[in-house]
Amino acid sequence: MERLRGEEMKRTYEEINQRIKKGDAVVMTAEEVIGVVERQGIESATKEVDVVTTGTFGAMCSSGAFLNFGHSEPPIKMTKVWLNDVPAYAGIAAVDAYIGATELREDGNVEYGGAHVIEDLIARRPVRLRATSPGTDCYPRKEIDTYISLATINQAYMYNPRNAYQNYGVATNSSDRTLFTYMGKLLPKYGNATYSSAGQLSPLLKDPHLRTIGIGTRIFLGGAQGYVAYEGTQYRTTTTERNGVPTGASRNIAVCGELRDMSTEYVRALSFNKYGVSLAVGLGIPIPILDEDMMRCVSVRNEDIYAPVLDYAVQSRARMPFHEVTYAELRSGSIEMGGKKVRTSSLSSYAKALQVAETLKRSIQEGEFLLTEKVASLPEERTQRTLDLHSRDEVA
Amino acid sequence: MTTKKFLLTFTPENVSEPVTYRLVKEFDIMVNILRAEVDEAGGRLMVALEGSGMQIDRAVKYLEDSHVQVQELKEFIRKDDARCTNCGACISICPVKAFQMEARTWKVAFLNEKCIACGMCVDACPPGAIRLRAQV
Repeated sequence: MERLRGEEMKRTYEEINQRIKKGDAVVMTAEEVIGVVERQGIESATKEVDVVTTGTFGAMCSSGAFLNFGHSEPPIKMTKVWLNDVPAYAGIAAVDAYIGATELREDGNVEYGGAHVIEDLIARRPVRLRATSPGTDCYPRKEIDTYISLATINQAYMYNPRNAYQNYGVATNSSDRTLFTYMGKLLPKYGNATYSSAGQLSPLLKDPHLRTIGIGTRIFLGGAQGYVAYEGTQYRTTTTERNGVPTGASRNIAVCGELRDMSTEYVRALSFNKYGVSLAVGLGIPIPILDEDMMRCVSVRNEDIYAPVLDYAVQSRARMPFHEVTYAELRSGSIEMGGKKVRTSSLSSYAKALQVAETLKRSIQEGEFLLTEKVASLPEERTQRTLDLHSRDEVA
Repeated sequence: MTTKKFLLTFTPENVSEPVTYRLVKEFDIMVNILRAEVDEAGGRLMVALEGSGMQIDRAVKYLEDSHVQVQELKEFIRKDDARCTNCGACISICPVKAFQMEARTWKVAFLNEKCIACGMCVDACPPGAIRLRAQV
């Protein structure tokens, strides 16, 4: 890290990891570094700080876990699988299954679903496994009814196809009735507004063009060390930017990590009345301060990050934003809309997001968490397609 | 002056007793009806009574003498802090601002004395940390 006078400070991953191993790395949370930049400026802050940690803890519906149950005696090729009566997808190899977070029991009750199975597993609680099969020459068994736990299962790892959305819309309701949505309970006639981003702490908002976040990036996932696996579903780069960050839902990541290393402190089942079940996932990403540009990115504040306000009474995919607010306004407890003061609620926990960023910071300071350089970048340009009704000929 | 909240249960025999009128007129109590579910077969009334300690005691005695079942409500809902993730979904739902986001810690505080047991928050809590203790 030798530096000539007047030349910009630059760091490599190797240099940062050497400092982490020696216990010398200067690590700050995204919230702390904002204050440092405000006091000292970008140049001085860049010289001082090696790594900035981020965090988020919100409902992430596109989450789930791959399970390999191990083989029974005699063996079974499971074609239908239930975990505590919640169906799991078993259309893969004999004793593999995927338990999706939003899956409900067959009675449709939203009190218990796939997310609860995942939380029960992480909490080391026993889970009832039932499976059926037509039976084959190589897998003669036709049914099994037993208990599994994280202590006995062969393998269990989380694989979430869409997590850590870079920004998200604010939900409100113009209609005369209360709406029950994945954005929570929306009171009639703009009675409240809900939002779901950690704003200035949120991982992908702190590296808006994913310069350091890509396939292979080591992350904090549910208390474990996990990895970015791929671009997330509905990843898009076309969202308008303000102050260098997207002003609505944009990029997101597919992530994976070992269930055994996770904690219910950071993975929590959620139930949305008259909507369904989801999983709250605590996710944090360390951002290496490679240069001043990176420091500029991580120091974006709630005041600089905008979110679109959407009317969930409009039952259409083409809901148009009718207002724009900053996360500073949202966090203040109310926003102004058409001269009316509307109270706000966050659906993601800022307290937990801080806890994620702090925990990740400590693991880096203690030399337990090293940074990785991405193996491949996520798409620089990607539009999101819609689903329209077509004939066979039209799609050919 | 103190405020206490009560659940009053009426039977068909005493349902026509004009309790709110008498509480105001004879006992000088400020009555705030929080919830009501009353018809000719009786019913239940949830009220906040404001007055001096002695006035409230006298009012309660009057109600009991009228054979109205009186139950003081000290805790309407309970927030399980181990289950609560401090998201704040409850905050904008509560009509009396009984949930508040604490500055700096970003933790959700529940102010029991403000709660009117409307139950709005119960089905708005995604992790299921809020339970209603007294039902009306």
